[in-house]
Amino acid sequence: MAKTRGESAMTFLMPASLREAGLLLLTAVLVTAVSWLLRGDGLPLRADPVAYELELAAPLVDIDEALALYDEGEYIFIDTRDHPEGAFDTIPGAFFIRSDSFDDDLLAYFDFMTPRDNFILFGDGNLQSVSNIAARMTGRGYPNVLILKGGLTAWRKAGGDISSRTGGDS
Amino acid sequence: MSGVLTLALRLVVGGVFIYASLDKLAHPGAFATAISHYRLVPFSLLHASAHLLPVTEMVVGLALVLGIWRRGAALVAAFLTTVFMAAITSALVRGLDISCGCFNTDGGHGVGLDLLWRDGILLLMCLWILLARNPGFGLGGIFRK
Repeated sequence: MAKTRGESAMTFLMPASLREAGLLLLTAVLVTAVSWLLRGDGLPLRADPVAYELELAAPLVDIDEALALYDEGEYIFIDTRDHPEGAFDTIPGAFFIRSDSFDDDLLAYFDFMTPRDNFILFGDGNLQSVSNIAARMTGRGYPNVLILKGGLTAWRKAGGDISSRTGGDS
Repeated sequence: MSGVLTLALRLVVGGVFIYASLDKLAHPGAFATAISHYRLVPFSLLHASAHLLPVTEMVVGLALVLGIWRRGAALVAAFLTTVFMAAITSALVRGLDISCGCFNTDGGHGVGLDLLWRDGILLLMCLWILLARNPGFGLGGIFRK
């Protein structure tokens, strides 16, 4: 009896496909194991949850609360974005601490930023890069750090004050 | 004609997987952080995933481009793409404001519906490559001899 088209296709496809997929996955596992052994800067096999929860636990502040805190003047706003050479918008009075020049930027504000100060970090809405800066600030002894949810985009959309700076400003 | 189309799709999908693996291979720590933001992978498997996933993407991408174990590579690529779509959907449902970690481990594209569309198209390409009878030009014949 002739096989149906479906049966024929399954017989045709599955055993070889599964075998090939298994061989590819085995290859990937072996290459991963060898590269992990050879790489000096590889991650340890087991993750330290504290290192990740520190970043994940950076508290978020929503835009309405951030606007209120800005008006109260109790928080220092930190712009974490990498800026272009020309003019760009930011929150008035914000300082710049960027990923690529974190130490230099932090040092520049050393005289008037104390560990007791409160900070609100903002970026372009991308949580990951801002939370990296937040984790580094927390590690340097600045525990009172919040992250503005939605970044400058949300701030602008909510009608928050905006000022224009140029790449040379600090 | 079918062989030419399959070859073109193999090059596109394979190229995407190879390109996606490069930054992750270079920055495993940052990729582990990107995975952790999805809050789906237990910490005990986080670093293993951060090491294994980009290597798997590279191996599958190379297999597709070279035409070696084409159907197996397409099957793994389709499976990975389905996992990525499930993770993105999960993040969207939970309202997570995170980067997808797809091509760039330092920031990059935030999760959104556009990524689901993109991955959906990628999945269809994988299925075509898997089911096509004519594999198009490749080195697969060497391994069958």
